[in-house]
Amino acid sequence: MNATNDFPFLLGLAAFLFSIGALGVLIRRNPIVVFMCIELMLNAVNIVFVSYGRYLNSEEGQVFAFMVIVVAAAEVVVGLALITQVFRLGRELDVDDLDEMSK
Amino acid sequence: MLAVIPPLVTPSGVDILGILPEVILAGGFVALLMLDLVTSQAHRGRLAAFALVAVAASFGSTVWGWFDAGTPHTVYSGSFAYDRFGLFINAIILISTALVLMISPQYLNRRGLHYGEYYSLILAAATGMMILAGASSLMVIFLAIELLSIALYILSGFSRTEPRSHEAAMKYLLLGGFASGFLLFGMALIYGETGHTQLAQIAAALQNAGNSVDPLLMAGIALLFVGLAFKISAAPFHTWTPDVYQGAPTSVTTFMSVTTKVAAFATLIRVFTYTLGETTVYDRWKIIVYFVAIASMVVGNVAALRQNSVKRLLGYSGIAQAGYILIGVVVLSPLGTIASLYYLAAYAVTNIGAFAVITIMAGRGEDMDSYDSLRGLAFRRPYVAAAMSLFLLSLGGFPPTAGFFAKFFVFAAAIHANQVPLALWGIATSAVSVFYYLRVALLMYTRPTADQPVYNWSRTSFAGGAVLVFTGAGTLVLGIFVTLVWTIAMAAQHGILPAGVI
Repeated sequence: MNATNDFPFLLGLAAFLFSIGALGVLIRRNPIVVFMCIELMLNAVNIVFVSYGRYLNSEEGQVFAFMVIVVAAAEVVVGLALITQVFRLGRELDVDDLDEMSK
Repeated sequence: MLAVIPPLVTPSGVDILGILPEVILAGGFVALLMLDLVTSQAHRGRLAAFALVAVAASFGSTVWGWFDAGTPHTVYSGSFAYDRFGLFINAIILISTALVLMISPQYLNRRGLHYGEYYSLILAAATGMMILAGASSLMVIFLAIELLSIALYILSGFSRTEPRSHEAAMKYLLLGGFASGFLLFGMALIYGETGHTQLAQIAAALQNAGNSVDPLLMAGIALLFVGLAFKISAAPFHTWTPDVYQGAPTSVTTFMSVTTKVAAFATLIRVFTYTLGETTVYDRWKIIVYFVAIASMVVGNVAALRQNSVKRLLGYSGIAQAGYILIGVVVLSPLGTIASLYYLAAYAVTNIGAFAVITIMAGRGEDMDSYDSLRGLAFRRPYVAAAMSLFLLSLGGFPPTAGFFAKFFVFAAAIHANQVPLALWGIATSAVSVFYYLRVALLMYTRPTADQPVYNWSRTSFAGGAVLVFTGAGTLVLGIFVTLVWTIAMAAQHGILPAGVI
């Protein structure tokens, strides 16, 4: 594999995945799916970091990707706990129902 | 002038002195987690006292650092800046945290939310904010933002049985994660196009690039700005703010409305003014920041007109204030930075005061944040009403309060940089803001009629009174003895890292 030739393709792939994720956050209503879309966005960014790291021959990109993975895991822990909490109060899992304050 | 790149050296033990305030606070956070296990329900107040001790120790080391950081330098191979700018921001964050810790126990007890985790999470968030203030590498900026955000997600959902609180936490979490995605994509593109993650090296790479600006780099800068604009709640990235501020427990709102904004502005100034200030790049991002600043001033002030909850009102007012502080970033001058710093100090003391009043007034099981619940406050609690009026006047920008000089300085910085339209937008929108601030103030001095409910406001505890006295005095000191804080802000701007860009 030649990193230089594949590079535009990798960047395009990452941008594509990122867009799917962003679009999903905007149109999906189930908080768990929204959350998955956010994860997709973060992992698309990881592709950018790793491929730039390879392209530039620098380690910073690879290390950054590790940091993102760790932080994403921490965010999932808190996120799923919150979603469970909302569910246990007997709510439907739909982000459109979270409109207590705009009523 | 050329950007100064710090030499790459292996971290030594001495480097820890550069992050001592953060280390102390992080230690307090871990210790509190342990102490919570051995503290009984009745003695949870002691945890607050312990947290206050940790904050005081951290503040002490910040002050020591202020005198020690005469020659600013980076520690840990350039990833953390040890300069007076970071320490100034640290001081604002630590004072705000201490004030919030003082009003918290009474409020949490009354609302039945007194759990020990509260204090550890507050300290964790404050640690993240302080790291953010000093961060001088994209990686550290990202980690610090997530440290403070994750702690705040939990805190805003702290009222476990209340749907409003869940809704706040959920919105904050989902939109915060969304914004983190943009922030990260921006960082990835900046890293890719400059080849570096450290701010000083990015600044140098931009200077070497000369007049050619890569579109991917500009996309990266724009995305990074979106991510940070979310944290400072600037329009059009502000939609979460009123809901989260209203739904979160009031003591948490007090904390995050002030400290998050201060910390995020610190990194915004460090990144945009002092790293991306290179002329060719600046000419492009200036346009985005310019419009976000105007949009925030307009949206914040206009939307605040039709609110009926004080927490929401202060949320929208915070959006507008973000617009004013952004003026200090757009103008790209040392004067602008000093004006922003002054504004942040004024904003912190005034906003903590205003939210503290709402926190102190909270009833058993419910927040007293509707306009109705403030009617006639002045006749039952004259001192609290007087303090609240002072804060509202300061937010509106009346002399002789902190808010007047804060606004005056940012507008002066705009005019000094030949950005007169920006100053005019600012002045016009402040004029609008006077209307809604005074409306709340007048309500407190209106006697309720017979058919209106009489609210049972809580008694002000000693700690609550002390917070109001401190913030009230601070609001007046920043409005009367202006040179005092101005001199400190000037020293903070002088020697900010990365050096040599503007």
